[in-house]
Amino acid sequence: MQKPTANPIVLALIDNLIWVLVLAALITFSVLSKSFITPYNLVNIIPKVAAIGLLVIGQSFTMITAHFDLSSESGLGVTAMVAGLLIATTQYGGLGVMAPAWLAIIAMIAVGLLIGLANGLMITRLRMNNLIVTIAMMIALRGVVYIISPGSSASFFGPVFNWLGGGTLFRFQSGAQIVSVPVSLAFVLLAFAVSHIITQYTQFGRNMYAVGASRDAAESSGIRSQRIILYVYLISGLCAALAGLLSAGRLDSATPRSGLGWIFPVQAAAIIGGISLSGGRGNMIGALGGLLLWGILDTGLSILQVNPFTIDVFRGGLLLFAVLLDALKTRYLYRTAMREALSTTSIGLADTSLGFK
Amino acid sequence: MDTLTQNKILFAQDISKSFPGVQALSNVTLDVREGEIHGLVGKNGAGKSTLVRVLMGLHEPDAGTLTINGRIFHSITSSDALAAGIAYVPQHVDMMNSLTVAENILVGALPKGPLGLVNWGAVYKEAHERLSKLGLELDVHKRVEGLSVAEQTMLAIAKALFGNARLIILDEPTAALPRPDINRLFGFIRSLKDKGVAFIYISHHLEEVFEICDRVTVLRDGCLVGSYPVADLDMAKLTNSIVGEDVKEYERSSTCVPDAKALELVGLTRRGHYEDINLTVSQGEVIGISGLQGCGAEALGAGLFGLEPWGVGEVRIGEDAFTARNPHEAFAQGLALLPQDRYRFGLIGLRPVRENVTYTIIDRLMGLLGIVKVPSERKIVAEYIDNLGIVTPSQDQMVRLLSGGNQQKVVFAKLAATKPSVLVLHEPTQGIDVRAKVDIYRIIDELAAQGIAILIISSEVRELMGVCDRILVMYHGRITNEFKRGDPETTPANILRAIEGGSNNAKE
Repeated sequence: MQKPTANPIVLALIDNLIWVLVLAALITFSVLSKSFITPYNLVNIIPKVAAIGLLVIGQSFTMITAHFDLSSESGLGVTAMVAGLLIATTQYGGLGVMAPAWLAIIAMIAVGLLIGLANGLMITRLRMNNLIVTIAMMIALRGVVYIISPGSSASFFGPVFNWLGGGTLFRFQSGAQIVSVPVSLAFVLLAFAVSHIITQYTQFGRNMYAVGASRDAAESSGIRSQRIILYVYLISGLCAALAGLLSAGRLDSATPRSGLGWIFPVQAAAIIGGISLSGGRGNMIGALGGLLLWGILDTGLSILQVNPFTIDVFRGGLLLFAVLLDALKTRYLYRTAMREALSTTSIGLADTSLGFK
Repeated sequence: MDTLTQNKILFAQDISKSFPGVQALSNVTLDVREGEIHGLVGKNGAGKSTLVRVLMGLHEPDAGTLTINGRIFHSITSSDALAAGIAYVPQHVDMMNSLTVAENILVGALPKGPLGLVNWGAVYKEAHERLSKLGLELDVHKRVEGLSVAEQTMLAIAKALFGNARLIILDEPTAALPRPDINRLFGFIRSLKDKGVAFIYISHHLEEVFEICDRVTVLRDGCLVGSYPVADLDMAKLTNSIVGEDVKEYERSSTCVPDAKALELVGLTRRGHYEDINLTVSQGEVIGISGLQGCGAEALGAGLFGLEPWGVGEVRIGEDAFTARNPHEAFAQGLALLPQDRYRFGLIGLRPVRENVTYTIIDRLMGLLGIVKVPSERKIVAEYIDNLGIVTPSQDQMVRLLSGGNQQKVVFAKLAATKPSVLVLHEPTQGIDVRAKVDIYRIIDELAAQGIAILIISSEVRELMGVCDRILVMYHGRITNEFKRGDPETTPANILRAIEGGSNNAKE
């Protein structure tokens, strides 16, 4: 057996770096502020960013296949507003239809899937560039939200939404305090768990990684890559709808600005959680870690009463850091792959394209 | 001219180079003189590319020295090589295709006017003058993508000379060139030779080696067979040096089931690639298809598998019509392809061995909700690892960490798992060391014994002779020759000549 040229220990470290970072962040903020490490606070880290969490899931699905869906924040906005229009009274910005919650939820999911379908078809059938298509959709759909919105907001979504977005699952005693565990925490964790099972244990998940790692080899292995890519965009659309659900539930309102600008923490969380930009690498557990890191940062910086504009600097910085790590990882993998391949094939000098990433 | 007094531009002495698992070069010595056109021949994997990379400073040799223009180097960088005047012209010329000839020549040094803006008049004039000095007539206003392949090659050579190259390495410059273009290219090369420029001419077209080279060096399996003046050789001697006589080749006996048709091609035509291909392959038969690059064999394999359109005509597998237009359908209808480039098309490097074997059959392994039944999967994969002799520490090892031979076996496992009726293998032993090659032949033998019809598209004549029941030669898109095993006419020399189109003299 030849000596492997890509060190498996280094690779393992690369893929699990996120947990090191999460630990570091927890420690840092605990040191910087005594009110950080309370049970109340910890339990609420994820619920605060629950909607972002669902977007991270959707984003991860597409990124594993080496595609982007930058439109998901606008998908959140549109679906939340659609639900608002159906549920809210005319006094509070709705159409006055007074639809029941389950109907609104079905409508939201339908809209989300439709957006995913549109993205997916343009990208697979028309072979349009996925980055530009989803950016264009992001812009256009945001416009749609403004168009369909009644005024400044649609509010009061009723008990179902409120429960999902902000309700309590159960309470427990911690010292002198009573801590409420939010429903949205369970929702997010459940969503990540299901996604993890799908991506790691099903044929569909296998095929996703194959398509992302090497589309050519996947095609030659009989995998219908176009179909897989369409499906992940549908999933991303679905996740945008679920994110809209959580967002509307938590804030009890939908505004034209719902989700605006959220794509950046979503990307940052996914990338820093190990979902590689080049596709075929990373898993949902890591992405959850990325979400956790983002939540810690967000909560921690708020507690420290850092200027919101400084928080923006952190947001951008985190994304840059995530992309840097990813670039280093990809380059390391490419270099070792190059060395391995050159040693065993007689491809001419002019051919420097290698499928292995 | 007295060869002893001619200047040696390059003297590569006892160059050895190894990579994990394979000795690419062992003690290879090569010298090239001023004004010499020196051929470099050998089959795929013989070490030509590795040697060239060493000369270009892209690989550091494990042993040996390079003496360039009198300076001795133990290792050189690519800038050393360029500075010393060694240039490489690849087979697919590396130009900025959407820019004009003049821009390509003067890139980075465009003449500018007083305001620092480009003076286009001067650009074209300067480019034209430089080309004229070399005796090359090209329209400097034309975009490179509009030039013929021969013109692009000549332009690449010119560019190298403008960069003060004294030794130009040409890699397969005439693949798929029509005769008049070859004449023009050779005329240009000869005029440069008179000016003292030296060439290393790498080619599989042996007739051209006789036509244009002064000396030729033959490599085989990483070793130097010899360097000979072309005048001292004839075709038979040359092919024997390339192909080797002393190696005991793998021999297999036929497992052909006569009258049981596995694959039938009738009048298969794809414009620009192949024409009127008629072929019948029996169950258990192994046939080889060989030819020069661009002969159509590659396109045929890719077309049948559905990676490319197959054109018009009839294809039958067994008694059924074959209608697959993509790999998924091809597998379902009983045809599988082993791709030439296993790194890009054959395997997904980052994924484990287990997954790479089961991509094609995973629907058989699904349980509830589409979740893969991993224990069943492991069992099947373990059987294949055992049967094919795949050496890997575990099923979960990343496939890219395996040696080339074992990687290829994983691809075989994946294809065999689909229980195909027809297996198309494209260069199945490329990049695999000699010991592993025998394993691959054994696998091919076993698969044929199971009744699978096997088509091997390969340029390794010796290998085809040992393994195939029949060898077909394609030239310019048509099947031109058929060689049967055991027939006295079936010799490496005859086959090589047929590959070059010699016996048909189809060149204009």
